[in-house]
Amino acid sequence: MAKVVVLGAGVAGHTCASFLKKKLGKHHEVVVVSPNSYYQWIPSNIWVGVGQMTIDQVRFELKKVYDRWGIVFKQAKALEIHPDEQYVTVEYTAGEKAGQTEYVNYDFLVNATGPKLNFEATEGLGPDKNTFSVCTYSHAAHAWENLQESIKKMQAGQKQRILIGTGHAMATCQGAAFEYILNVAYEISRRGLSKMAQITWISNEYELGDFGMGGAFVKRGGYITPTKVFTESLLAEYGINWIRRAGVYKVEPGIAYYETLDGEMLTQEFDFSMLIPSFSGVGMTAFDKTGNDITDKMFAPNKFMKVDADYTAKPFDEWSANDWPSIYQNPLYKNIYAAGIAFAPPHPISKPMSSPNGRQIFPTPPRTGMPSGVMGKIVALNIAEQILGGHNEHHHKASMSRMGAACIVSAGFGSFDGLGASMTLFPVVPDWDKYPEWGRDMNYSVGEAGLAGHWLKVILHYLFFHKAKGYPFWWLIPE
Amino acid sequence: MGSNKIKAYYDEAYPPVPDATTLFWRKFLPWQLIRFVILNIKMIRIVAGGHS
Repeated sequence: MAKVVVLGAGVAGHTCASFLKKKLGKHHEVVVVSPNSYYQWIPSNIWVGVGQMTIDQVRFELKKVYDRWGIVFKQAKALEIHPDEQYVTVEYTAGEKAGQTEYVNYDFLVNATGPKLNFEATEGLGPDKNTFSVCTYSHAAHAWENLQESIKKMQAGQKQRILIGTGHAMATCQGAAFEYILNVAYEISRRGLSKMAQITWISNEYELGDFGMGGAFVKRGGYITPTKVFTESLLAEYGINWIRRAGVYKVEPGIAYYETLDGEMLTQEFDFSMLIPSFSGVGMTAFDKTGNDITDKMFAPNKFMKVDADYTAKPFDEWSANDWPSIYQNPLYKNIYAAGIAFAPPHPISKPMSSPNGRQIFPTPPRTGMPSGVMGKIVALNIAEQILGGHNEHHHKASMSRMGAACIVSAGFGSFDGLGASMTLFPVVPDWDKYPEWGRDMNYSVGEAGLAGHWLKVILHYLFFHKAKGYPFWWLIPE
Repeated sequence: MGSNKIKAYYDEAYPPVPDATTLFWRKFLPWQLIRFVILNIKMIRIVAGGHS
């Protein structure tokens, strides 16, 4: 009997565990270690943040599902990896064992621990300090509680300044913040309060629509249009102002401090602010059989795990689609994989830029949603085939330079009054050798707004919950 | 909250904004149903083509 341990139960980890169990059946053991008792569908946190969904609509208890599937669930956080001896040290986070550590041995290990929300990297940032977040369902609910206070003040005739965007010079997840600002603007407009609000988007992107992917081109209205135009058009339609090329470095009550790429040190005042933090790896350490710390060999400096990528330092012009990993296997230990946000990208996708003062201001690569799910799936299939077939081959591959992505930003929640802005592109990482004109395959590109995208977003919420809960034919639903 | 009377000389004045016809098509159900089908097909092709 083989034992596969999956660290993390987010999109990548949960997808990986579900396919592992489906393929391996009862004859092999699958263990999931996650510090949280719930699975959460993060994209729908946006709706929690504007009061259109409750927390319980975007989460479910993992143990019930894992008990049904026959997966062992440990509510604990992973602390150390001992790859030579093939065990991880975990610390329980809840229940009778809370605080206790345990050694969990494995034959194969999947690191899908996702990001650490690194609020500490920006002074004064975060839901415990001066800004709100929608990165978790509890953060989103907290944001909604406070947004309601701003709405009440507007209804009472008091103007409000709302600031939404990235809270660090190298933050990613612009898409989530962008969806949130459109939803906030929609909710304010729906209440007839637009004239009482000054809504501002602040971003570390060189141009809006970069989204950490170096921007993209979409077919729209008979033109090949940069996503900059598409994004700015949506913001302008909602009466939202914007600040770009901004690295937020400090937040005090009601005021955000930022530096621009030009080196200007500026401030933006606010009454309500939701700013996305930078991400880092969760900070696991690794030790070899003699007890030597090998964390820096297994992990990149940002604490994400190294995989089969080309990590050679290269200038922007020499970046290649082939630098990106395809099987997410650790180069030192072949029975360890990292999927989703947990793997270390070889380099950014957006061009690195620095201010004259040396502050790097550009988005880091996104790996959330569809790419994370696909990575989790192919890691599971490859491990299952190795166990069942007794070989070391990898028949399933999914590089972000060969993988597309769909981003649907939806505002509103009604069937006939919402707005969905849909963007699809292929591949996520532009391949200028294969697609020399636009970097991506224009046959797959979409950039449009309308009810269709909104319906799709709502349906995807329910479809992905169906899949994540393992309801009948769940495996037929794409990632 | 600011004055938007002069539609020039600030970033927000330059992007295209939808006219009444575009807004109509965005919510015209028969057209949106067609777009819904097309979007679904594109996304399934993207997901299916993204891994082997």
